[in-house]
Amino acid sequence: MGYSMTVAENLFENLKLELRRGGLTLAVLGQLRHEHYGYTLRKALAEQGLEIDESTLYPLLRRLETQGLLASEWREEDKRNKRFYRLSADGERMLAQLLQEWNELNQSITNILS
Amino acid sequence: MELLDRYLQAVRKHLPWKRQDDILAELRANLESQLEEREAELGRPLNQKEAEEWVKGLGNPLLMASKYQPVQYLIGPVLFPMYWYVLRMAFVWATIIYGMVAVIVIPLVSQHPENMVEAIFRWPSVLFTAATWVTLIFAVLEVIARTRPGMIPQLDAVTLDWKPSGLPPLEKAPAIGGKPQSYARAVAEVVFGFIFLAWLLLFPKHPFLMFGPGVYYLSASPFGLTPVWWHFYFFIVAMNVVQLTWQCIDLVRGSWQSGRTLQHVASKIFGLIAVGLLVSAPGQILVTLRDPAVNGAKYGAMATQINKSLHLGLMVVMAIFLIQLIWDLAQLGMYAYRKRAVAGITQ
Repeated sequence: MGYSMTVAENLFENLKLELRRGGLTLAVLGQLRHEHYGYTLRKALAEQGLEIDESTLYPLLRRLETQGLLASEWREEDKRNKRFYRLSADGERMLAQLLQEWNELNQSITNILS
Repeated sequence: MELLDRYLQAVRKHLPWKRQDDILAELRANLESQLEEREAELGRPLNQKEAEEWVKGLGNPLLMASKYQPVQYLIGPVLFPMYWYVLRMAFVWATIIYGMVAVIVIPLVSQHPENMVEAIFRWPSVLFTAATWVTLIFAVLEVIARTRPGMIPQLDAVTLDWKPSGLPPLEKAPAIGGKPQSYARAVAEVVFGFIFLAWLLLFPKHPFLMFGPGVYYLSASPFGLTPVWWHFYFFIVAMNVVQLTWQCIDLVRGSWQSGRTLQHVASKIFGLIAVGLLVSAPGQILVTLRDPAVNGAKYGAMATQINKSLHLGLMVVMAIFLIQLIWDLAQLGMYAYRKRAVAGITQ
């Protein structure tokens, strides 16, 4: 019994992770229409109900920048150098496309479940 | 904070070396901002226990660093199904080739049975070598497919340029346990089974039924058969009686249409035992001289040679039977697994 509960919990965690993965990217791109550095971005997302681990968010920012969807610059703020991110022109186009996909998917699932 | 420094130091060790400093500077700035805010809320620095809890909440340094690594595959999801198929084929062929070589070569070069046992123990290393080569080749193909798309067009064809008309034709249902047979065929099998059994029982007293006119040459031959052939003969008779009884029961019960899975496997096992009886003949002697005192000098060497050849041939037959049996059992397992899977889906 204990074993099957653990398997079920693991399965749920894995499925949740898959479900969240695309959503997190969309949320980060959306939030970076305004400039943020890593920590303030994490706080801003958390204030809107989306908690993301440091080990997920900070590498994700790097990956999105490598893909050309974010632009970044080092700047001093409060006597500390911080890396600020914002959406690039490619990122804006990608965000629009992804949002359309997201809305269509959301609508479909709503229809299926209603 | 010393604990944070130690944490970042641990993270650094697993970061991509080209970007270590940059990533670490950013991570430090983010984490120090977070720490400052936390301490400002408390109005004091974190104590040791709180600091440990906070750093623990950041996650294992190895995990944190691994997220900064690019996604790396030895063999990616596109090539993996093909890799898995080739690997299984490599295992099957390596086993067949190694088995044939072991059965043919070892008896030629050595009379010691322990060499055969050694060959069996070497089999896993043969499989390991095959797996290593297949994995290595596919890892190289993966690198080529990722870094130089288009260099090997067949790799791109796996994902993009495929034709539905190029799909292989539908496979027939597995022969064992699969197709139901007709009543006429089941009756014919029983009738011919009885005729064969009668012939089998008659020919020791009337060898003409087997050898025809050749029986006169055989009776004049200086060679005779050892008693192990009688064991073989009675075993074959018993095997046919069992098989015929089984078929008759099937006919009476009206279950002739059901698959003959078990009968197929049982007949292979009986065949293996029958050949095994001859292979394990004392001194590997199957043919002997009728009168060694008279013919020993002239035909002794020939009898030895005949026995060696017969033994070798029977070893090969036994190996083939064994491979067929393993193959049938594997097919049977696969068939049962698919049947269960289909039953699971339709429930």
